Parts: sequence; structure tokens; C-alpha cells
Amino acid sequence: MNNDFGQFQEAFFEEAGDHLAIVEEGLLALEQHPEDLDLLNKIFRSAHSIKGTSGMFGFNAVAQFTHKMETLLDLLRNGQKVVTPAIADLLLKSTDCLKTLIDAAKAGSPVDDETVQRLTGELAAASDTKVKVEAKVEKGNHSSSSTALASTSASTFHIAWTPPEWLFQRGLDPLQIFKELANLGTLSQVTVDTSKLPELAAMDPEKCYLAWTMKLDTLKDRQVVDAVFEFVREDSVLVIEQVKVEAKAKVEGGPSESSLISALTSACEPGEPKPLGEILVETGVVTRETLDHALAQQKRVGQILVEQHAVTPQQIEQALQKQKQQESAAQSKKTDTASIRVDTDKIDKLINLVGELVITQSMLSDLGSRFEMSQISVLLERMAQLERNTREIQERVMGIRMLPIGTAFSRFPRLVRDLSAKAGKKIQLVLSGEETELDKTVIESIGDPLTHLVRNSADHGLEPPEERLDNNKPELGTIRLNAFHEGGNICITVEDDGRGLNRDKILAKAVKQGLIAENEKLSDDQIWPLIFKPGFSTAEKVTDVSGRGVGMDVVKRNIEGLGGTVSIKTALGKGTVFTLKLPLTLAIIEGMTVRVGKDTYIVPLLSILESIQPKADVMKTVVGKGELINVRSIYLPMMRLYDVFCLQPEYTDPTKAILLILETEGERVAVMVDEILGQQQVVIKSLEQNFRKVAGVAGATILGDGTVGFILDVRGLLEMSRQSMPVAA
Amino acid sequence: MSKTALVVDDSPTMRQMVAFTLTNAGFKVVEAEDGKDAVNKVAAGQKMDIVVTDLNMPEMDGISLIKELRKMAAFKFTPILMLTTESAVDKKQAGKDAGATGWIVKPFNPEVMLKIIAKVLPA
Repeated sequence: MNNDFGQFQEAFFEEAGDHLAIVEEGLLALEQHPEDLDLLNKIFRSAHSIKGTSGMFGFNAVAQFTHKMETLLDLLRNGQKVVTPAIADLLLKSTDCLKTLIDAAKAGSPVDDETVQRLTGELAAASDTKVKVEAKVEKGNHSSSSTALASTSASTFHIAWTPPEWLFQRGLDPLQIFKELANLGTLSQVTVDTSKLPELAAMDPEKCYLAWTMKLDTLKDRQVVDAVFEFVREDSVLVIEQVKVEAKAKVEGGPSESSLISALTSACEPGEPKPLGEILVETGVVTRETLDHALAQQKRVGQILVEQHAVTPQQIEQALQKQKQQESAAQSKKTDTASIRVDTDKIDKLINLVGELVITQSMLSDLGSRFEMSQISVLLERMAQLERNTREIQERVMGIRMLPIGTAFSRFPRLVRDLSAKAGKKIQLVLSGEETELDKTVIESIGDPLTHLVRNSADHGLEPPEERLDNNKPELGTIRLNAFHEGGNICITVEDDGRGLNRDKILAKAVKQGLIAENEKLSDDQIWPLIFKPGFSTAEKVTDVSGRGVGMDVVKRNIEGLGGTVSIKTALGKGTVFTLKLPLTLAIIEGMTVRVGKDTYIVPLLSILESIQPKADVMKTVVGKGELINVRSIYLPMMRLYDVFCLQPEYTDPTKAILLILETEGERVAVMVDEILGQQQVVIKSLEQNFRKVAGVAGATILGDGTVGFILDVRGLLEMSRQSMPVAA
Repeated sequence: MSKTALVVDDSPTMRQMVAFTLTNAGFKVVEAEDGKDAVNKVAAGQKMDIVVTDLNMPEMDGISLIKELRKMAAFKFTPILMLTTESAVDKKQAGKDAGATGWIVKPFNPEVMLKIIAKVLPA
């Protein structure tokens, strides 16, 4: 029925997602400030919006469920109910359920009815008996909006209408009413009653003093005539008398069916269809007992098949499993949308800039068509302008993909609340830097690693309340999430004031797992990263929350996959800080251009520690380890880039060439190149997508002169140096 | 000359849907995201042939908006329709008291909406 609105569904789902976030955040905040009326109003409005809009698309399950939530919220904001932890909890659970319902509506899949029913019941119970009264009121009032069934009989109505005095003040016009009536059939004998019209001096021209009587012959039935007066009826003196009913024409299908249909339409609120059974009970066709009995006998298709020996219970079980998997797979696929919402403001500015670019371009082509050497300064000026335009457009376009990290943070208040309840710890979450912007792709990819770190802090980092009190710490543990810009990077820290990492425990575990030798001497900075090794967990017991030894390695892998790093700072008994350092965007990197022979390579600036020109006496060749170079008494493996890529270099003697000291994941390597050319931003083009993966190369880019330059994969180079095996590109 | 409609709703989806339907029916549509925005948009003296407004909105809600509009000379007799849900009975009364011409009950389809608009729109 709402086909015309179908195209707005996508927008609805996006908006509903926002509203859900507002409701959830609001409810969490409400637990802290139960009296905050603004907050309640905000939550209510969001729930109300979801209800109204979901109904427009026929997502009745969503609309009905939200209605129940809204009813409770309304009681809360009117002060008829108080926000208790139980109610907040119920509303939070309902929000989850609503999320599931919306996802299901999106995916077009069925939902877990049991949860919905249970929560619906709980919501109704929490909303007290008053709900029932309201529900009745609703029913009494809705007939006006339901579309009447077309009747086949002709009838005559005598209508006497005295409109309210303020008719005009509400933008109503009696003429409109007459027109509409005339559309229904033949309107005749319209008489105006002017008896109430006062003297001209006493008359208020904005008021209506008139009344009318009229006769209407129509094929439509009374409901349709009633509907004409919809907006004025309650305040008017209105008498509609049906004078004559002509013989009813035969209705196809027999009278019993048609009476059932009218019973159905009258019992049914638009947008909130009831189950068949309910309607049958309400219309008195069956009793509640008969219905319950019938429902109890209803069987699932699997059960019937088993009874008929068509399948075995095991087969059914397997099929159900499969169904579940498919459902969840389908859902996860569908819920992942690739659209992005951008402030119109940002787009307007961009369009403006493109306009400027076009102007610059036309100025340049104009100049080019009749260029003389004397105009070289004008040319240079225009070129500078072009460069400015381009750079600005580039920045703005990147800006479109930038979203505040708050969207990734928003899930944590809820998570921490649930974790603290589960682990029996008191935890407060402090968020800061939510407005820090970074690339949408990065935001989407850091959700899981961050979640793991927060879980880890809640579970391993923070001590149980008794232990905290014993150690003279406040009972309430704190987890801080902070985001900020640092250079061209974004840093996200996950900090807890818990027990800190235990050096001895980690060492013991590492020895046990054969990660290090028993007597190996390690510095703290070497010990902490051990927790990122696969399978590493020092938790004494496996808990529901974390401690299965999976996760920390995944965290590290994910972050490094984004071109970022994870570092740890910890103090025993004081707490731990995990710092994630991420690039602002994945599409552009700041690079150092270097030359080897005739070729240009780009080295990611982030990984360059320093560049040196070594003296002859710092170089050594060690059997099995290749060339080493002594940099301030630390020996680093040295790689000759021309060896790696089989190039013809300018220098083969390191003392004449340049060595770049590169670092990634705490390991260093010296890479020999002929010359450093400069520093520039480069757009990364995937080599894998266009060619194939090449060891030691992270991607390619197009350089200023139009040639292709390769971007070095520092991590890959390190691995190659470990194997001491130069690989040809 | 085409008629102008003011559509006020804080839900962009709802707003778009109403605006879309009206535009297709030949209206020129001015959109506002809440009562305050709406008041600002008509403050310049722009006349509207019809106003369609949601009731629950931040900043200024629909009821207050209707009251504000009725105070303005340009909107004294302009039809104002409110978007309500079936359950909001007292809201509907409050809207009427504030001077609303009529209401469109959510959920609705474009056809129903245009019918109701035709009902109150001066010829």
C-alpha cells in the first residue's frame, strides 16, 4: 500500500540507526540522572520517530513494539512513573530487541517472536494498568480515518450543520465541505440560517455565525458522509439523518462474509493488525478458551514431519541449525551498508571549490591559446592557483570520508555497563576526544579491536572491588577512552587504573609456551608485546568476557592491517595504557621519495627513524645473518635495495650511499639507497588489484612526472632481511 | 501558479516522504526541521498555501508552532495539518486548540495524504 514511499526505506533505516543510538545513549545517561527531563524527552522523541516512520513502511512489528516502549517512556516523562534501574534495564533490553526487529525488517527475515512477546509483556506490565484505558480510547476514536467500504445502496441524507464560531480561525472553509459533499452525489436544498448573525457593528469578521441545512443524495454510505466533517464534527452541532434506504443489492460472497469483513475492519486499527484469533475472540465468534485450546494444538512443521516419520529429529535439528546460520549470514550481509551521510555544508563548499577549479582551468587554457614568453609570470601565478585549488579539493574530498570517532565510541557505555554487571565490578567509563575525525573505513575497522581492549581492561585490568579497597584505591574502577591528533596520525588510548601488567606472570607464561628461553633477559619494552602473541593469556580462569587467549593478537593484526601500531605503557598496581596509532586515512600516505639508480621508490614517512651515511668501520658481515651495521652500538641488518629489486645502482659502496633506518613493530632495518629526493603525499594504488602481490612492495603511486613509483613495504622488507634472501621483483 | 507547502518534521525520512508526495502533486515545497526552523523560514514574510507539521520535535514542537503561525497575519487562515499517530489523542486535541485545521494520521500513504490536503486547501 505504501509502494510510493519504498524508495525512502534506506533513509529510514539510516535514521532509525541514529535514533536507536540516541535512545541507547540516553537510557545509559538516564541511569546516572534519572530526573533529567530533557533527556527523557529526547529519548521519547527518538522512539516516537521510529514508531511513526516505521509504520509508514508497513513495518508493523517495529511500530507496535516501539509503541509499547513509547507508552512507558511517556509515563516516565510525565512523572507518572519513576526511572528505576529495573525500568532502565527493561528499556535497554527493549532497545536491543527493537534493533533486532529493525534489522529483521531490513533483511526481510523473521524475528525471534519469543523475546518480542516477553518484552512486550514486560513493557506492558511496567506501564501499569493505565495502558489499557488508553488503548480503549484509541479504538473509540479511530473510525473517522478508516476508509469506508463502498456500499451499493443509494440513500438520502438530511444534514443540519452549525459550525463552531472559530471555523475560519483554524483555516477551515465551509465552502470546502459543500464541495466535498457535492462530489459524493447530488447536493440540493442548501439553506443558510442567518439568525445568529449579529448587527454589523457587533460582528467579528473572523467568526462564523452561519448554519446550514441541506439534502444529499448519494450512493455512498453514512461513514463517507461522516468523514467529510472529520475536522469539524466534534465541535459542530451536526445532525445527519438517513431518510430512505433503497433495497440492498446482492453482495457477492453472501452476507456472512461481508459482515465478517466489516467486523474485521472495525476491530482492526490501521497499522496495527491483530492476529486472527484475537479478532475472532473480540467479535465473539469464538471464546478465549476455544482459541487457546486451538493454539495449543498448533504444531511446527518439523514436529509434524517427525511424527509422520518423514524425517528424523536429527535431520530437523541440522536443518534448523543451517537455517539459523543462513539467517545470521544474510542479516550480517544486509546490515552492512556502504553509504555515507555528508553535511550539505561540506558538499556546498566542495561545489564552490570545483567552480573555482573550472575558472582556473579556463583562465589557463585561455592563456595557453595565445601564450607569449612575456606572460611567464602570469602563467606561474595561475599554476600556483591551480595547485591551491587542487590541494583544497583533495583535502575537502578526504574530509567527506572523515567522521567523528564518537560513532565508534558510542557502543562502549553500554558495553562497560554490561561488563561491570557481569564481572561484579564497579566501572566508570570516561570518553574524551569523541569529535576527533578520521576516515570512515578506519572507524569501521577499529570497532572490534577497541572492543577487545575495553573488555580486556574491564576483565583483566581492573581488580574486583574488595581488592581495590585493600590496595587503597577507590572502589570504582575507571576506563578512559581518548582520541586525539598527533602529527598526521590519530591516537586512541584505552586506559585503566587497574593492576597493571604483571611482569613475572607474563614471563612465566611465555617460557611455558616456548616463546622465550627460560633465562632470557628481556627489557620491559620487550616483555609487554609478548601479550600480543597468538594464544597468549595469563588469565587464571577463562571468563565469559575474555581470557580465551584469542583476541590480543587479533587486535594487533587488525591495527597493523590499517597501517597503525599498538603500544603498551603499564605500571604495576597503577594501571595500563594501550595506545593505538592510526593513519588518518588509508588512501593517502606521507612518503619520502628516494632514488635507486634510475628508479624512484617511496618510503612511508612514519617508518623512517633517521638517515645516515655510514663510515666504513661500522659495517660487518656475519655468517648466516648477512650484512650488519653498527648504529650507536646497536647492530642492525642492512639491506641493499638494489639487491632486493635487482636494479643498477649508482653506488654499491654504503659509505657513498645513504642508509635509511626504518622501524616497524619495534624492529629495525637499515635500507641502502642512492639518494633522498624529497617528501610528498602519495595516493596509494593497489598493486595486488592491478597486477599481483610483490614482496617488499606495499603499492604503487603515480609521481609528479607521470611515472610509476613503488611504495616500500617496510614490514615485508624486515621479513626478507630475517630470511636474508633477496627476492627479485 | 503552483502552490507552496511548508513541511515541518524533525525526521528527515518523514520530511522527504511528505515533500516528495507534495512535489509530485505539483507543490513547491519548503522544508523545515523543527518549529523554530519553520518560524525562521516564514519570518521573511513568505506566504504558504498549506502547512504540514509533525508534533513531536526538538526546539519548538508542533503545537507551539501552530500557535506561533496563527499569530502571524499571513497564517491566520492558512490550513495547517498536523501529522499525528493514532494513539496521540490528547495531542490531537491540543493541536486543534492551538488552531490546527486537521490532521493526517500516521501511517498514511500518498493518496490518503493528498486527499486530506485537497479537503482543506482553498481553491
